[in-house]
Amino acid sequence: MTRDITIGQFLPGHSIMHRLDPRTKIVLTFFFIIQVFISRSAASLCFLIVLLGFLIASSQVPAGKVLKGVRPMIPVIVFTALLNIFYVSGEPVFTFFFLQITKQGLFTGFTLLVRLTALIAGCSLITYTTSLNALAAGLEQLLAPLRRIHFPVSELSMTISITLRFLPTLAEEFDRIIDAQKARGAEFNSGNPIKKIKSYFPVLLPLFMSAFRRAFELTNAIECRCYQGGKGRTKMNVLKLAPRDFCAIAFFVITFFLTIAFNYYFPAPY
Amino acid sequence: MAIIELKNVNFRYGSGTPFEKQALHDISLSIEPGDFLGIIGHTGSGKSTLIRHFNGLLRPDSGQVLVNGDDIWTASKDIRSIRFQIGLVFQYPETQIFEDTVAQDIAYGPRNMGLDEKEVELRVHEALQFVGLNDSYLERNPFRLSGGELRRVAIAGVIAMRPQVLILDEPTAGLDPEGRNKILNELEQFRRESGTAIVLVSHSMEDIAEHVRNVLVLDHGKIALDGTTSAVFSQAEKLVQLGLDIPQITKVLLGLKAKGYAVDTGALTLDQAERALLRLFEKERR
Repeated sequence: MTRDITIGQFLPGHSIMHRLDPRTKIVLTFFFIIQVFISRSAASLCFLIVLLGFLIASSQVPAGKVLKGVRPMIPVIVFTALLNIFYVSGEPVFTFFFLQITKQGLFTGFTLLVRLTALIAGCSLITYTTSLNALAAGLEQLLAPLRRIHFPVSELSMTISITLRFLPTLAEEFDRIIDAQKARGAEFNSGNPIKKIKSYFPVLLPLFMSAFRRAFELTNAIECRCYQGGKGRTKMNVLKLAPRDFCAIAFFVITFFLTIAFNYYFPAPY
Repeated sequence: MAIIELKNVNFRYGSGTPFEKQALHDISLSIEPGDFLGIIGHTGSGKSTLIRHFNGLLRPDSGQVLVNGDDIWTASKDIRSIRFQIGLVFQYPETQIFEDTVAQDIAYGPRNMGLDEKEVELRVHEALQFVGLNDSYLERNPFRLSGGELRRVAIAGVIAMRPQVLILDEPTAGLDPEGRNKILNELEQFRRESGTAIVLVSHSMEDIAEHVRNVLVLDHGKIALDGTTSAVFSQAEKLVQLGLDIPQITKVLLGLKAKGYAVDTGALTLDQAERALLRLFEKERR
């Protein structure tokens, strides 16, 4: 089950999106997130879907794969949408005891469904098209100005890249320990919730132990290589913005204003 | 009757995804009481996938897995009861230890079986003996033990369930030569005293040659060779072709034969090779 985790799954390729500077991609991902949240009307939502389709096409990541990445989040999305359907007040279309569904609620629920799906799908594109190293390097560069106020930028980017690097390793380890305890007769799907939590103890404890062991080994390895944080370190591959990065930024600025325009000229019905 | 029987088992990972990979191809085998079977094959040949089918951790896409004659996936029995009969020790089993005393950790399996405390205690004691540790270890903290001792405690945790078959995936990986020999000898002794069948998955041809009676060679999820240990290792060429090695000592004898000495190349262990060489000297002297 943990094999379904797609976070940090980089698919090497040569699409325009792969070749963009990681800094551009990080900034534009934030742009995209904001854009998702300001898309309120039907017209701007349609535009958002078109934009997402265009982004997926330009990343050359199979659309099925992107949508599959959304799958684990479906329960959360559906729950949020349902909550909105029942909670937004307005013109009722359906009443059942204290439950009431309103037109406004239906609209908000549906738009949330579209927006959250687009949000997750859009954000997953950056992990599909950017290697973890590039992502960490981009983040470090972006945060570099914060060094002036003694913010530990390189340490932070190191921490992030180590975390992302070890997620799949830990997931694998988790599966392995589950199998080992199952072989000793452990039962993980008993109905009783307290029993269920207890039954995971023999899995979580060894998992933590091995995570700590790995961490100690890693710190030793880092120390042996005399790593001193980012001070005075230079990079082999220096990030440099190319014309295509400026094009991408311009493109996003345009779509951003288009979204605002759609919101303004074709406002939401409620 | 065979304890474990596999009939035309097929299994693939990641069905329906681009990463789909056929891991097992039409595997049929049987493990009889008292067997000592070795499974060899290079990395990715399907060894670990295969042994996960023995106790129902993986379900075959097609084919049958029979334990004591019953299909474990159709006979509506509790799959856990199968796992108590088929003991499985994974690679680096010491990573599964979680209790704060050795006794508590070994007792995890027997307690899951629902045995009463007296019986559990008896089994813990017995299992610890089998792996060559005395009762002074019972109350010790497992995380203070040496690597070899910890490995033995982990193996004891499976032995304590008194399985009919004990399957071990690379039980000697990462141990020093002395630790390896000790564990293998203890397993051999355990097999003789308890009558438990043992399946040993290993990379080390020496380990296999010295202890195991029958060998199964896996290659790309298929059974490439199968037979008695000496029969399998006599096919040195085929083994090398599969990316496997033959025991060092067998290699020496084959080299001698290639140079024109009339030596018997069936020897797999140091003792057997010594005898073969002595016979050769006798002949030469005459």
